[in-house]
Amino acid sequence: MSFGEQLRKDFGTVTLALIPVAIVINLVVGQIVSALNLPLFLDSIGTVLVGILAGPWAGLVTGLLTNLIWGLISSPVAAAFAPVAGVIGLVAGLCARYGLFRNWWKAAISGVLIGVAASFTAVPIRVFMFGGITGSGADFITAYLLATGSSLFGSVIITVLSTNVPDKVVTALVAWAIARALPQRFLARFPRAEAVTPSPQG
Amino acid sequence: MTLYIPGDGFLYRRHPVTKLVFMLCVAFLAFLGPGRWTPLLIFLAALLPLALFSGLVRPYGGALWRILAPLAFFLFVLHGLFNPAGRTVLFSVGPVAVKLEGVVFAALMTSRLLCVLGASLLFVFTTPPSALMLGLAQHGAPPWLTYVIGATLQIIPHMRARAAAITAAQQARGLETTGSLRVRARALMPMVTPLVLSSLVDAEERAIALEARAFRSSRPKTSLTELADPPVERVARQACVVCTLLLIGAGQWL
Repeated sequence: MSFGEQLRKDFGTVTLALIPVAIVINLVVGQIVSALNLPLFLDSIGTVLVGILAGPWAGLVTGLLTNLIWGLISSPVAAAFAPVAGVIGLVAGLCARYGLFRNWWKAAISGVLIGVAASFTAVPIRVFMFGGITGSGADFITAYLLATGSSLFGSVIITVLSTNVPDKVVTALVAWAIARALPQRFLARFPRAEAVTPSPQG
Repeated sequence: MTLYIPGDGFLYRRHPVTKLVFMLCVAFLAFLGPGRWTPLLIFLAALLPLALFSGLVRPYGGALWRILAPLAFFLFVLHGLFNPAGRTVLFSVGPVAVKLEGVVFAALMTSRLLCVLGASLLFVFTTPPSALMLGLAQHGAPPWLTYVIGATLQIIPHMRARAAAITAAQQARGLETTGSLRVRARALMPMVTPLVLSSLVDAEERAIALEARAFRSSRPKTSLTELADPPVERVARQACVVCTLLLIGAGQWL
């Protein structure tokens, strides 16, 4: 299948209807998590889900649009991190393509990969646009690392990795559990549904 | 729903794409423009008067303060005290010293953020989402993109209401949502799964509705409302881009 054909298949009507729902899942689940006072963001479950069900390109679009719309409805700061959200969807889709969402521990590995990729996208934005700060408690880690002699880049990388990787592992596990809970009939509507079914070899 | 504030000032009468171009130009200038004072100058000479002429000074100042204050605070603390480039000690507080180079860097970053945030807030304050999508479609954005943005904004209130209903229902069944971290973590899946599964079923129904209305047809689509795009808007957009390129070029050359 050529790239164009694959794109047309990935961006079918079902995907187009899925993307807005996934964006809202990102926003609303983030809200539930903060209501439960959990020490995580979990604001990209929808993006990862689209990556799994409709491939990396649909995941990329979902992530980008999530943050742009977030910028429109709450704070423009979120829009600056749109590339990070896009990378999350892209990497989730690539992991799913190579069978890394077939069982729970593979999904956890995907989570680590997503977290690392997201961190390395976030660091340049944070350092060059925001001078390395977030305006939250995580800045104390950056301050501590700077005070102990690390460079700004190094301090921010460690801060971002330590907050992002655990968050994305949980995100990937939740997205995997949800995809597994979908009925087969329904799953079959999505272009890349085979990503979550265990391979014939187990 | 969005940050849009109804009004009828100067910026409200501009084409959404013109405002988008202006916002992006300001963002590029804030980071690539010549000298240290460019961001602050843009804010004082362009953004503040625009807010004034659009009758937005109060919400504008409020939102800028709310978003920028925590960022500026951490910028000055982090860089004033710990920036590795810091040499010249201004004064000491106990074991740590505030250094000039760090403070200068923090001030520069704060003025850049002020400039970019200021421009994007003007954009979102004065642009209703419907006009933005219409404007984007007018300038060649594909229908799926405007559909996705529009549908998202419409679904948000429904999903928020559904999340609240699911939370209430699960609590009525005895789900604990307060207490130790363990208890709260266990409440996550019972709240998230029904929300996601039910909304995915909605997505499928929406897809059938779209297919039944020939949404994927490649023929040009008509719009219920029209958006005027007079030549003066086009000239304004081109002027923004040319000025920005010239200033960035000057900044590199000088």
